Amino acid sequence: MQRFGFGPRPGEYAKALAEGVAATRAKVVTVPAVDAGAAAVLVPEITNIGKRPAANSAEIVPYTIALRYQNQQLVLWWLDRMAMSDHGLTERMTWFWHGHWATSIGKVNFALPMMIQNKTFRTHALGNFKDMSRAMINDSALQFWLDGQDSTLKSPNENLGRELMELFVLGVNRYTEDDVKGAARALTGYQVVNYEGTTTFNPKRHDPNPITILGTTQPFTGEQLSDFLVAREDCATFIAERLWYRFISSTETMPASFGAKNAFATRDISSAVKAMVQDPAVGDAKNDLVKSPVEWFIAACRALELTPSNLKTPAQLLNYLNQLNQVPFSPPNVGGWPAGEAWLSSASVQYRIAFATWLIKQSSLRGLLEIPVANRALKSADWLGVAEWSPRTQGALRNSMSDPAQFALLALCSPEFIVSA
Amino acid sequence: MDTVTRRKFLKLTTGAVAVGAAAPLLSMNDIAQAAISRPLPANTPILVIVTLYGGNDGLNTVVPYTDPLYYSLRPELAYKQEVVLPLNAELALNPAMKGLKSLWDQNKVAIVRGVGYPNPDRSHFSSMAKWQTASPAKNINSGWVGRWIDTQPEEPMLAISLGSVLPPIFAGNKRSGSALPLGGLVIPKGDLAAQCIKLSRPVAKDSKLMAAAAISMGNLFSVSTNVQPVLKSPAPVPPDLPTTNGGNAGGDSNLAQQLDVVAKLIAAGSPTKVWSVSLGGFDTHANEANAQASLLGTVSDSLSRFMGQLKATTRSNDVTIMVYSEFGRRVTGNGSDGTDHGTSGPMFMVGNAVKGGFYGEQPSLKNLYKGDLAVTTDFRDVYATVIEKVLNSPVEPTLGKWTGRVNFFN
Repeated sequence: MQRFGFGPRPGEYAKALAEGVAATRAKVVTVPAVDAGAAAVLVPEITNIGKRPAANSAEIVPYTIALRYQNQQLVLWWLDRMAMSDHGLTERMTWFWHGHWATSIGKVNFALPMMIQNKTFRTHALGNFKDMSRAMINDSALQFWLDGQDSTLKSPNENLGRELMELFVLGVNRYTEDDVKGAARALTGYQVVNYEGTTTFNPKRHDPNPITILGTTQPFTGEQLSDFLVAREDCATFIAERLWYRFISSTETMPASFGAKNAFATRDISSAVKAMVQDPAVGDAKNDLVKSPVEWFIAACRALELTPSNLKTPAQLLNYLNQLNQVPFSPPNVGGWPAGEAWLSSASVQYRIAFATWLIKQSSLRGLLEIPVANRALKSADWLGVAEWSPRTQGALRNSMSDPAQFALLALCSPEFIVSA
Repeated sequence: MDTVTRRKFLKLTTGAVAVGAAAPLLSMNDIAQAAISRPLPANTPILVIVTLYGGNDGLNTVVPYTDPLYYSLRPELAYKQEVVLPLNAELALNPAMKGLKSLWDQNKVAIVRGVGYPNPDRSHFSSMAKWQTASPAKNINSGWVGRWIDTQPEEPMLAISLGSVLPPIFAGNKRSGSALPLGGLVIPKGDLAAQCIKLSRPVAKDSKLMAAAAISMGNLFSVSTNVQPVLKSPAPVPPDLPTTNGGNAGGDSNLAQQLDVVAKLIAAGSPTKVWSVSLGGFDTHANEANAQASLLGTVSDSLSRFMGQLKATTRSNDVTIMVYSEFGRRVTGNGSDGTDHGTSGPMFMVGNAVKGGFYGEQPSLKNLYKGDLAVTTDFRDVYATVIEKVLNSPVEPTLGKWTGRVNFFN
């Protein structure tokens, strides 16, 4: 539940325990036709706000206000979907793909292309990777982020071609520098209107000549390159490695037996995820994961029954996420966010405590208070989807029985909650 | 500086991120005791590492301003002769680097040319990993400063990185450096603090990550709230620079803020031998000229302000600054008024102990290797020199048998 969704709402974990492991695993990977919780989240009006007006013009102030407002609405909308969805896997996979094809609004600047990209991730989240990769080649935010709009027959720009091979499809060192140069030529010709979120292909700017990439010589379009790379064996290895890293363990190496790799033979993402959920590695105690700040925050929201966009105030919310170094749509670089111990600095501890204190103040704590006091110290583990509290954490919780806010704070900041077993 | 202040300060700076289950839990008493018994002795060399993330364009940083090839190979990106800051008849600094030029004129800047490693990797991530692990041929998990930390007596304040995420360079096999966020620490008090300290004790059943989570909280609570004044106190004032905002002061950039905190803590007598600060944004694939000049201006202004601040302390002769980036950029522009990922670039060493001048061979623009600058100095030559001369340690435990050195110290 923690790994393949964003954590339980009150009562959900106890129910899953009662239903058993096999039933829960099956449920986790079966996406329902309608997700009422996510569907209830209002879609903000993210519009084309046009070209940036000239500096010092009368239009620039309202323009900048609109830009900032849309950018904030975009982040809140997605956080709400994560927190409110009834079936976590689709949002969880959308989040995974955002970290995979990591594109930052810091450079893209406009909410509209980021929103379009986000919808593409959701559409293909559990679909076929070949389609997803093609869609991403045509994604204006990604093209702009990696300078594709400047890449022409005369002057190919290598940024997108390199990252396509290294970070998106094949993995590092599974190609040569000459292949990067070839990929850059294959990807020439795209033009982007950033504020509109549109990509067009201009054949006049494209290199039509035969190109040698990974031993194959032929003329390549960007989409043909995408298909060609996705079809390679290394693509299955790489996507399996990334699933392993984000869903199973960021510290242990992926074993050759990891089921997701073979299940990805047809490039069907859903099959790979199903195989991953069934893999014995999921139950292995040495495979645990640190919740990234957004994952931790959403899990807290679900347990505390909070809606991110209703928190007072959204600016304060984004400030907390920023202090913890993770704001959706703003990954630090094209490699996405770090994992594991990178999130465990003592600096992050203080921000997490302040953040949790702020959240708890805004919650009724219903999920906690409904647990009878007599077994609250033990049963609160179910509330948060924790397997069991250590004696250490139990001790701290027992000392806080008279103060539910402090009890909740300690539980949310405990090693057992920060790390998903 | 009196003992009480030092004790306060020492409590402040602890923030170790445990890398192994073996990382010990510090108590407040341990740290107070360390403050009294192990302050950084006077005249101990201190290393400040400045990482420029994104791949800084070395050719427009140290500009071969009299080489006609520089102008013919990158016409749209080349700086005109009359705007650069000449260092000798061949090389000049970027026009934005006036502060560094002034330090150069005082013989405090060594420029090591053509630094890189064999078989350059043009990926940001791989290349930065190679620089930070000092292992260009093989992927490993420990950073070179981390491996040095492993060889040192245990001291959680030995190596401190500004910012809340620890860079890989500080991760050792046994221990690691500490992370210190900007803006000081806010620490709960009273019973909540007592219960949090309870939560911070690793237990036998903890996984490695759970133990690390517990320890990270413990380290926060080893810090007393009464140390806030040290961070809140004004940074040392550079005696010879204007103190207004902007211009030389440059106090509005994040790098300047990071170096402000470092200057304060060095002045306070921190037992820290290695500091790490960073600036991002050097990945100038498009519209490079303005972006890079602005960043280099920040680097130059921040460093000269920092050197000025140190003058107000007793440690100004002890500090050596090392500036690097993961790679240089391609010699020719890419048609987007930017440059793609390249190979070697210059490193800067700055300090009173540094023997100013040029080191390493300037990569030739005539004999390019596949369109890129040659690597003329291995970064391990620089690291080895720093390990010996600044960290006063043998090279082998950190870099293995490495014989190259660059003789840039007095």
